Amino acid sequence: MVSIVLVCENWVAPVHPDLRLTALSTVLGYARPVSLEIDHVTKRFGTNLALDRLTFEVPRGSVFGFLGANGAGKTTTMRICLGILAADEGEARWDGSRTTDLPRRTWGYLPEERGLYPRMTVLDQLVYFASLYGVPASKARKDASGWLERFRIADYAPRRAEELSKGNQQKVQFIAAILHDPEVLLMDEPFTGLDPINLVLLREAFLELRDRDRTLIFSTHQMEAAEALCESVAIVDHGRLVAGGTVSALKRASGRRAVRLGVEGDVAPAWVADLTGVRVVRPGAGHVELELDPGVEPASVLAALVSKGVPVTHFELADPSLEAIFIDLVGRPADDDVTLAPDALAAAVAAGGVA
Amino acid sequence: MARRDPLMPNAGIVARREYRDRVRSPMFIFSTILLIGVALVVTLAPIAIRYMDRASVTRIAVVAQDEELAIRAIGVADSLLNIPPDGVDQATWKRPFVVERAGDAASAAADLNSGEIGGVMTVQRLPSGQIDVAYTTNGPADGVRSQLVGFAAIAIGIIDWTSSLPEDSQLGAFVTPQFHVESTNVATEGGIALSPQAVASRSFLGVVFIVLMFMTVIIYGMWVATGVAAEKSSRVMELMISAASPRQLLAGKVAGIGAAGLTQYVAIVVPALVVLALQDPIAEAVLGPAWAAGTPMVGLTPGLLLGYGVFFLLGFTLFALIYAAMGSFVSRPDDLQTMSLPLSFVAIAGYLSAIAALSGGGGTWTIIASFVPPLSPFVMLARLMIGAVPPWHVALSIGILLVTIVFVALVATRMYAAGVLLYGQRPGIRAFLAAARRAG
Repeated sequence: MVSIVLVCENWVAPVHPDLRLTALSTVLGYARPVSLEIDHVTKRFGTNLALDRLTFEVPRGSVFGFLGANGAGKTTTMRICLGILAADEGEARWDGSRTTDLPRRTWGYLPEERGLYPRMTVLDQLVYFASLYGVPASKARKDASGWLERFRIADYAPRRAEELSKGNQQKVQFIAAILHDPEVLLMDEPFTGLDPINLVLLREAFLELRDRDRTLIFSTHQMEAAEALCESVAIVDHGRLVAGGTVSALKRASGRRAVRLGVEGDVAPAWVADLTGVRVVRPGAGHVELELDPGVEPASVLAALVSKGVPVTHFELADPSLEAIFIDLVGRPADDDVTLAPDALAAAVAAGGVA
Repeated sequence: MARRDPLMPNAGIVARREYRDRVRSPMFIFSTILLIGVALVVTLAPIAIRYMDRASVTRIAVVAQDEELAIRAIGVADSLLNIPPDGVDQATWKRPFVVERAGDAASAAADLNSGEIGGVMTVQRLPSGQIDVAYTTNGPADGVRSQLVGFAAIAIGIIDWTSSLPEDSQLGAFVTPQFHVESTNVATEGGIALSPQAVASRSFLGVVFIVLMFMTVIIYGMWVATGVAAEKSSRVMELMISAASPRQLLAGKVAGIGAAGLTQYVAIVVPALVVLALQDPIAEAVLGPAWAAGTPMVGLTPGLLLGYGVFFLLGFTLFALIYAAMGSFVSRPDDLQTMSLPLSFVAIAGYLSAIAALSGGGGTWTIIASFVPPLSPFVMLARLMIGAVPPWHVALSIGILLVTIVFVALVATRMYAAGVLLYGQRPGIRAFLAAARRAG
């Protein structure tokens, strides 16, 4: 059984279903004003409960990580925010208004399933998508060219989308999602399939948009990316909030203590096994991350290593990784699937109202 | 679901993209040129057939024991089969049939088998005195030529009978009876019944229009369905559905692809109609003045063209909406064939009902079907082409079609909205109809 907890700056509290969101934002202690409220949203697909009174908040002008395994309800939540799916109960609000009452241009959406018009040129389809959000063609053309330049794919502007690699298509899709300068950007697994250079480019774009007071919400399996970019996160499992709040508060509240250790040569796990109350949580070449049980002091670990003659080059007290916290809370890694029965999904989607 | 996006401008933007995407594709340009060529060949075919008719002479052999009877039979058959068309120059006109006496029945049969002659007319006097005429042909038993030979048999009998009368007979001279055809349902123009030539023209054009409408509905309707399915399979729908409402997407797609279809349609039909209108001058130029058979466009009026345009647009819109909803229910364009089969059958039913109406059949069913969508665009058009239709019938048919289109658009939009998010399924017709019931 998964317990539902709220992680705040210095303490962990169980989420009461009736806890009002205004109080919640105060409790969470966000530095920025809360703008997106997911308020007790429930969604069923046939007999499958996709979202179960899901409740969390996202501060304005922040980068927010929406974490969960496949099938946890992330895409469904995003689609409800966009008005593509209707919630059975509860509602999503932006600045106090129901998200479905707001103009479409409020939102930018990068779906998990990437797709472009294969025979249309890159620039033409960027202008096309922007025009659907009311952006004049000349402005869209100019802005699109700027973004293509920035993502180092300006040469592809006059080429058909089908001629681009998947990674480049993904960058084009990202541009399509932001060209109308939305207040909120919802992205489903934006980093999947990107090489390290493009990953950096995309992360830089995220931070720039955040600095322009745009709110970025993305789902991901890549906990390192979430850790590097997000000020706050929500962890969901089986459609329920497991934990939410700032990343730093989550880490402190986890009760875990970690040590990052560097040694000359390869790290031999043999001497780690000899240490009591110490586990390897993230092995690596030349470095290793150790987690300490309660009562085990980092100083005693260092002393033990030195006494064994281990050539320590780096010793750092560290917060536990988001991945470790996720596994603690959800009970499995983020890339494990939770799937809905296809027939039930089909029937439920067919029956569901869509704006 | 409080958001209610206005139809425009997004529907227009989607329509423009769909239109450009279609008409700029090499396949569209190639198929348009090809179809223009085919249409011109088809419209010029009657002239080619007449040209070949002019060049060919059909020989008919007469077998008769009685010399006098043989001469009479040849004379009568020759005069009936070789009636020159009105206005023909007798000096230059070439008889299409040669009727001649055969040496004997066996050689005539051999010539018929070898294809040297087109038919054998065997004439004999029975012991009762009755004239017996048998016509042996490789063609159909009820062909026009066989019917003419039937008339010839009667004429031979009459002439044979009158020749046997005594010289002091009190009978007057044989007077050929007059013959009229009076139809109770003849198309009118301004309250005046159309000429037989105009009626024939309308019957011909009716077939052309019904065939065109049927092809348009099937081909361009499938374009709409394929376009929706392709957006789904390429996953671009995920982006689209957040940028525009299903109503905007559906309307834009139907309008854009419909306009592309209309462009191709106009590109094909206009040259074909021009050639049809100029068929007589072309025939005269190629074959001489005797070969002008009356333009096939003589029965076409602005009112009929308007009627065709209205029923074409309404019919296409109705079918395209259903095709779009179907397209949203498949994950791959390949699955569309099976999915769209029942709708094709409905279109075929409309087509066959209209063809039956054009040929004068159908009766009460024709009247009923001309009000029942989705058959009505085909059948009411057929009724307009060949008969006098009360204006309120036309108005009621259009009204029912419009109401149906609005209802189908509402249901199709909801089905489309649900269907475009379905992946990895093969819902099939049953699931599609179940979804339609829920959406309705």
